[in-house]
Amino acid sequence: MKYLYSILAFFTLLSCSKEVDDTLYKAYTPSKVDVNGGTWKPFILASPSDVAISVPKLATDADYLKEIDSLKTIVIPGLTAAQKKAVEYWGAGAVLRWNEIGRELAARYNVPPASNAAGVYPVPNAADPLADPKFPFANPPYTARALAYLSIAQYDALVAAWKYKYQYNRKAPYEIDATIKPLLPTAGVPAYPSEEAVVAQASYVILLAMFPGEGPFLKEKLAEAKNSVIWAAKNVSSDVDAGTTLGAGVAAKIMARAKTDGMSAANNQAIVPDMIARSTSLGFVNPWKSQESPARPPMLPNYGTVSTINFDRKTLESIRPVMPYLENSAEFKKELAELQDINQNQTREQAAIANYWADGPGSYTPPGHWHRYACDAGVAAKYSELRMARMLAYVGSALMDAGIACWETKYYYYSPRPQQFGLKTSVGLPNFPSYTSGHSTFSYAAATVLSSFFPENSAKYYGYAQEASDSRVYGLIHFRVDCVMGGKHGRIIGDFAVKRANADGAQ
Amino acid sequence: MKYLASLLLAFFCIVSVRAQMPHDGIYMNKKLACGALIYGNSSWTNYWENQLFRENQNIGRLTTESMTAMLAYGITKKINVIAVVPYVRTNASQGNLMGQKGFQDASLWLKAKAYSTHGLTLHGVLGFSTPISNYVPDFMPMSIGMGARSLITRGIITYDLPKHIYVNGSIAYQMRSHVNVDRDAYLNGGKLYQTNQVPVPDAFDAALRIGYLKKDNQLELFAETFSCTKGDDIRRNDMPFLTNDMSMTTVGVYGKYQPKHLGVNAKVSYVVAGQNAGQSLGVSLGLLYIINL
Repeated sequence: MKYLYSILAFFTLLSCSKEVDDTLYKAYTPSKVDVNGGTWKPFILASPSDVAISVPKLATDADYLKEIDSLKTIVIPGLTAAQKKAVEYWGAGAVLRWNEIGRELAARYNVPPASNAAGVYPVPNAADPLADPKFPFANPPYTARALAYLSIAQYDALVAAWKYKYQYNRKAPYEIDATIKPLLPTAGVPAYPSEEAVVAQASYVILLAMFPGEGPFLKEKLAEAKNSVIWAAKNVSSDVDAGTTLGAGVAAKIMARAKTDGMSAANNQAIVPDMIARSTSLGFVNPWKSQESPARPPMLPNYGTVSTINFDRKTLESIRPVMPYLENSAEFKKELAELQDINQNQTREQAAIANYWADGPGSYTPPGHWHRYACDAGVAAKYSELRMARMLAYVGSALMDAGIACWETKYYYYSPRPQQFGLKTSVGLPNFPSYTSGHSTFSYAAATVLSSFFPENSAKYYGYAQEASDSRVYGLIHFRVDCVMGGKHGRIIGDFAVKRANADGAQ
Repeated sequence: MKYLASLLLAFFCIVSVRAQMPHDGIYMNKKLACGALIYGNSSWTNYWENQLFRENQNIGRLTTESMTAMLAYGITKKINVIAVVPYVRTNASQGNLMGQKGFQDASLWLKAKAYSTHGLTLHGVLGFSTPISNYVPDFMPMSIGMGARSLITRGIITYDLPKHIYVNGSIAYQMRSHVNVDRDAYLNGGKLYQTNQVPVPDAFDAALRIGYLKKDNQLELFAETFSCTKGDDIRRNDMPFLTNDMSMTTVGVYGKYQPKHLGVNAKVSYVVAGQNAGQSLGVSLGLLYIINL
């Protein structure tokens, strides 16, 4: 029995922990209020006053006093544990939470459609989003664009909100009545319209357009987000209602841009034969071919024609990376040999880097990964809602532009993947041409913008970008040149966002 | 194939008579050891994506080969300890997913005869397994294991019938730890988690075995069922993941011949039903050797 006890003790020591340390965000007091935020230049709104809201009632008005009274006598005394939890959750930041929700939806919808019995891949249908295959297939370009419009809508709406806040200077309930104690740290900005409601409504409109099957989920989030600021005693209902009007109005303008940006033609497969012909005429012996069975049509071959945010079409063509190495060149052979060596001797460290950055099916994609880094940086810097949205709009627009410019490059050259030369992959093979690497382009574009916002962390962000870029070589799905040239391209694309940020009046 | 960690023992570590295993009613005598080297080959072409039974032309046939070293030792004739170390290799016959290989999860088992009367015997088994190499657990279905540590508690009832026939019923609970993966975010049940820690659901398994056992020879038929206590399902056309609620029912036949110190065993098993699991056909062949210590 002595043995038994000692072995039992051993097992107990090694017992199996089941806890998961998910990332936690907590409410904070923003480091700046930016009184002049309403004068910053929005992305798509012609002017911060494009969308009108009604003049708020005065603090002495009976209707307003009734709202304050209701807060004091009904809302606050009746708060449930679930409501307090919602306050805590949303208190971490409206822009942050809606960005997270956008990333979660991207991850959920990021699965390539299955082929049917006839060996055909049905195209997701926006009019029937929950049928198989679900709409959308939230691949990297789709997600980059969805998150870009989300961030831009948030930013433009908040610039407008800031304009009205300081125009009307309505106080928060706890400033009107000292017996009202807010449940969250206060930002110190005027209460009308509620910035959280502005963000919630704008985000809801964009995300519902991007993920049309998620109406019930998003409605629930929207209601909770808006209620949470009343539960927290930061706002009264009329602050939230004005935010709703403003957020909806701004988001409609952003969606007008999104609906006409060319996305609806991004999956035009009719242009593919001409692309292959061009590739051959450029000297590619083996243009890209789907390595899936049955062969899957290339992902979004016409995405390169979607309207970019921070530069025009002419610029896009002028910054397109030059020709990669052709199959019979010494450089190509050298790069293939590098991959063949990894195919045989991949180290665990290489696999780990490849896995960390894979961001494949079921993930929020590389653009989502960078949005997360951006959110974390904004939280660390104690950014206000306005500052957070602004930074994400530049990171997000750079990521969207990176996707468009990279896709344009991919389909311009239509170059083969390493798997067309007998290599395996440890991360899964995307179904589109090789040159240039999307990961490299996305990552360097985002790192460039983040480095501009957080110069003290520049080395860290470029380090991540380089690792993300290398990860595609380690995962065996890109040649070195795809990554190097994609990275350079990404930097140039990021610089356009930085240039725009430097001129928006926020500095 | 993702539940290799939990199934390896059931699939491959089949050693009996004096060579015994964690789920049987057989014990090594005091100071007697049995070593075994077992080759296993398990493969599937069809799998249950959630409940959808399908093939995948980008995988073809997924084969998992293993070489397992095992040592059973009699502390007393009623308390045995068993150690198991498997080396595993995977390969897909189609598509471009890279095969994985390496030492998988080593396990240590303690088996004790608790109570015996009128041919009926109760046994208790406690097992612990832990990965012994830093393999990638979430490159499914190519991964060689799930990466979780597990603590397995098993109860066994054996009953001896006339003419060397026996019946063996067992049930086990497998506590499984979370796993640290290379990625820093994943979905579980549609919710996005922003951490590298993934909870692997606990699991039950139960088995019924009927066999003939006489000195050198053993022949057994068995049915096993394995089921997670919770978890999510593989999404449409996605790959499996560590959080999946796997289940499967396996039937098989096992045989052993060990006239002296040297012996051989063989096993064939087949998954007849499942969810979030492959329809595996498993075959194993083992060499057994008794050592006097």
